[in-house]
Parts: sequence; C-alpha cells; structure tokens
Amino acid sequence: MKKIISGQLALSCGVLAFGLFFLIGSFQIPDAAGYSTVGPTHVPRAVGIGLLLIGGLLIWEVIRGGFRNHDEAAEQALTTDWLAFAWVSAGLLLYGMLIERAGFIPASVILFVCTARGFNSRRWLLNGLIAVVMAVGIFALFNYGLGLSLPKGLLKGIL
Amino acid sequence: MEVWDLLLQGFNVALEPKNLLWAFVGVTLGTAVGVLPGIGPAVAIALLLPLTSKLDPSGALIMFAGIYYGAMYGGSTTSILLNTPGESATIVTAMEGNQMAKRGRAGPALCTAAVGSFVAGTIATILLTLLAPQVVDLAVKFGPPEYFALMILAFMTVSTVLGDSTIRGLTALFIGLGIGVVGIENQSGQARFVFGIPQLADGIEVVTVAVGLFAVGETFYMASKMNQVTEKIERVKGSILMTKDDWKRSWKPWLRGTAIGFPFGAMPAGGAEIPTFLSYAAEKKLSAHPEEFGHGAIEGVAGPEAANNASATGVMVPLLTLGLPTSATAAILLAAFQQYGLQPGPLLFETNAPLVWGLIASFYVGNVMLLVLNLPLIGVWIKLLEVPKPQLYAGILVFATMGVYGMRQSAFDVFLLYAIGVMGLLMRRYGFPTAPVIVGMILGPLAEEQMRRSLAISEGDPTIFISRPISGTILVITALIVLGPWLVRRLRLLRKA
Repeated sequence: MKKIISGQLALSCGVLAFGLFFLIGSFQIPDAAGYSTVGPTHVPRAVGIGLLLIGGLLIWEVIRGGFRNHDEAAEQALTTDWLAFAWVSAGLLLYGMLIERAGFIPASVILFVCTARGFNSRRWLLNGLIAVVMAVGIFALFNYGLGLSLPKGLLKGIL
Repeated sequence: MEVWDLLLQGFNVALEPKNLLWAFVGVTLGTAVGVLPGIGPAVAIALLLPLTSKLDPSGALIMFAGIYYGAMYGGSTTSILLNTPGESATIVTAMEGNQMAKRGRAGPALCTAAVGSFVAGTIATILLTLLAPQVVDLAVKFGPPEYFALMILAFMTVSTVLGDSTIRGLTALFIGLGIGVVGIENQSGQARFVFGIPQLADGIEVVTVAVGLFAVGETFYMASKMNQVTEKIERVKGSILMTKDDWKRSWKPWLRGTAIGFPFGAMPAGGAEIPTFLSYAAEKKLSAHPEEFGHGAIEGVAGPEAANNASATGVMVPLLTLGLPTSATAAILLAAFQQYGLQPGPLLFETNAPLVWGLIASFYVGNVMLLVLNLPLIGVWIKLLEVPKPQLYAGILVFATMGVYGMRQSAFDVFLLYAIGVMGLLMRRYGFPTAPVIVGMILGPLAEEQMRRSLAISEGDPTIFISRPISGTILVITALIVLGPWLVRRLRLLRKA
C-alpha cells in the first residue's frame, strides 16, 4: 500500500465536484433545440461528464502512488508560507471591498502594501509612498489621458 | 507576384507613423514583460484589451503582436542572467546561457540570443508571408465540420502534447471549456450557469481568467513558496559583442533552429517547448565541441533561441489563416480580434487585406526595432531585473486588479480574480498546465458553434465529422497524437512479454 498524498486527493475530488456541478447544471438549462438538433445543454453536459471521467482518473493515479510525472517531493520540500498567502489574499479581498466605496487610489495603496508585506518587506513608509505615487500616476493616466474612468471614492472632492 | 504586392500594401500600413509608434510601444512593452518575472505577454495583452475601445484595429493589433514576439526577446535576457526561465520554452536557454554568464560570457550569450532571435524572426516572417496565402487557398474550401475537427486537434495538442501529463492537461482544458460555457449562449439566447448574477450573464472575461491564472496565481506561488529561494543576477562584464569565433559558431545554429522551430509553430500542434529541446539536441550532436555543452556552449543558446522565436512566429500561421490559437497568448490575440468583431481566417484575408498584411509587415519592422532595443539598450533591461521582488509583485497586482476592474467596472470581477488566482496557485503547485484553460475558454464557444452548424447541415447525423475526407483525416491524426504514445508503450510491453 502506497501512501496517499492528501492534497492531490482533495484536488482530484475538487475536479469531480466541478464535473458534478456542470452535469447537474446542464439539466437546469431549458433546452430550446428547435430545428438544430444540438441545443445549448449538450456542451455543458459533455464538459460535466468529461470532468467526472478525468477526476476519476486523477483519483486512480493518486491511489496508485500520486500524480504521474509530478515531483511531489520537491514541492513538499519547499514549505508553504501561509502567512504570506494571507497577506496577499487580504490585499486582494480588501481591494474588492474598497474599490467602489473608498475609490481606486486607497484600494490600490492597501493592495500594494499588503502584497509587499506578503513578500516580507516591512518598509511600510517606503512601500506606501511608492504605492501612492503609482496609484495617482495610473489614475491620472487613465482618467485624464485615456478617458477610462476609475472610481474616485473618498477623494471625490479633490480629484 | 501577388503576395509581394499585398505585402507592399501591408508595409504602407505598417510604416504609417502612428502604426510605427504602436509597433514600438508593443515591442518595448513586450521586451519589458518578457524580462520581468511574474508577468508575461498573455497578461500584458489581456490587461491592454480595454484599449481596443479607443484604438483602431490595425494600431492595436500591431501593438499586441509586438508584445507577443517582443516578450520572446526579453525572456532570453532573464533566463541567461537569472537562470529562472519565465516560460518552459526558455528552459534550454537558461541551462546553457546561464552557464555562459557564470563564466563571464553573459555579453556574447545575450548577443547571440538577440541576433539569433532577429534572424529567426525575420526568416519565419518571410515563411509566414509565403505560406499564409497557400493555407488561405486551402482553408476557403473548409466547412464547419473541418473547422470543428481542426479545433479538436488544437484542443488535444495544446493539452496533451505539451506538459507532463495528458490527464492534467485535459483537466485544464475541460475547466477552460467550462468557463467558456458560462453566460448567455448566443445561438439560443439561453443563460447558462448564470445563477441570476448579471456579471455572469455576459460571460467570464478572458482578462480575469488570464490575469488570475498567470499574474495572481504566480504572485501567490512566489510569495508562499519561493520567497525562501534567493536568486543571483549574473553581471554582464566586458563587451556584449560576439567575437569572430562566436559568429562562426552561431550562424548555423540560428538557421537550423529556425528550420526546426517554424514548422512546429505553424502546425496546429503549436508550442515552442519541443522545438527548443530538439534544436538543443541537434546542436549538441553536430557541434565540434560537444564537451562544452552544459558548461556554456554558445551553440546551445543560439539554436534554441532561434527555434523559440521561429516557432512563435509560426504560431501566427494557424492563428491568422484558420483562426486557431495554439498558445495562451495566441488565444488572447484572438480575443483582441473578437473585440473588433473580426474573426481571423481565410475570410479576413479577403475582407480586411490591408489589416492582415499590415500586421504581417509590422513583424518585419518590429524585429528590426527589437534588435536595436535588445543590443545597444540591453543595460536598461538588466536594470529591470534588479527591481526587488516585494515591490515588483505588489506593482504587478496593482496593474492586474486595475485592468480587471476597469474592463467593466465591477467589483465582482475582483473577487472572481481572487478565486481564479487561488486556482492558479493550486494548478502550479500540483503541476497542471494553465495554457489549456485559456485556449479552452476562447476556442470552446467557437467549436460549439461549428459543431452545431455541422449538425444542422447533416440534419443531426454526427457521422458528418468522419465521413467528410478532410475532417475525417484530421480527427484520425488527432486520435493518433493522443493515443499514439500510449499505444506504442502497450505494444512494447506486449513484445517484451
């Protein structure tokens, strides 16, 4: 009995879940086939079935000792720094929440500082300064130069 | 000859001052994103897609194409000086070029890569010029079943020939096909997988997926896994010019690399990875100094770099003449055409000849610009490599989110970007290729359309794909490519038993 790599197993189950999602979803699309014999449900159904089959094959590989031609040992030797992941995640999720409320410039500055912290940079002031210059520059270029408007948010009165 | 007349017309378009400017912007941006880790041509073009609403098609497409082949030049700089290949096609350059750099020969390595890329890019563009009209002549006879068969071939080669595992490649392809299905379907008007969310009704933007998988996924991976690894940038000492001996040892590999690379790109099989390895192997075999390979042999940089560039230009053949993208970047270029309501293919050569030939002519111009950008100005690009990682990736994410949000001013897309970024991290961690996702999501809906048209012609009889000689042949070839290696292995096992 070979050791089962739990991460790979979970991921393969995720592929199965995706397959199930598309297969079940395809039955909820009204089939308005009309005179053409293939309606809008066929491709989603094929995608669902395909993913279920592939998911099954992946699980088969995992049970037989892991994904083929994949250096799991090398990946496991590099420990995952979850704190770094959390910092970058926080930056992106805050950006999504703030972009329309606080505006482009504050959201971008927070994203920049959080991401830099994710890469272990603790020079908050310097990073903040770079971020402000960059965000203001992009904002000016896009809003006044190219006419693609980015949200002003809190700085509405100033910009 | 007619081709040269058309090309001459193309030069009239490409040499207009404004188009020259766009070509220059494109190749400069391309070199920059090629040099910078964490952002590649696919992401750069995706982020600039919103500009299509402001620019005319020829200007925008000339710029996008410039980014595409400019990135090939820039990528070699990074692999020689940093030994971290940005993409699989430069692995070989990284091996031999970095060895040269370690021995104080970074200059000649960069030089042979740049000149080799120029030679290969130019010859490949000449081949593209000659070959494209031939393929167009053939392609006008194609109907929906033939296009459907070609698309299946492209799907299978993109997901199974490249990468380490057929199953993982197919996983990526099917996820891409699934993403492509989301939204209002344009033939029946049915909403698929929309769940009442208005942003999903318009479909998932390719920008969000490309930027999520490549830029955000890469940032997650670098932050959480690779930050412990320190990289060393090799210094460029002395002259960057090649000696007489270097030239003598480089010119044949350039030509051989081009000869190997172009056909691989031009076939819907696509991919620059295999030809670079083939070229490396060929040079090692033919070299008068095989013992230098692995310790910085200039042939090992010259050949694969030429093969890489020739193959990149070759990819334009199926893209322009058949509308078939065989790499992630080519798929995004196809999306750029679609933004203008244009569909690459034989018809485009008829209806928009100045646009297509202007684009092809711009490759000649762009390659000359790139030679100048990458030789005398190489120092500028080396400076880019010195941007520290925290600020580099933070900056990339600021641009990435701006592009994704700005596409349709929706915060929903930012959260979607996050989710796709996490998926990109998992795919990278567990060895799934990401390019098939992009090709699947862009080519999937087109393949669905061709399939439905075919079945409308045959009144629902699916044998139409096999009974028509051309589509039948293509499907048989596809089956051989996918099942061939497995069958050969089985047969060998049987013979041994």
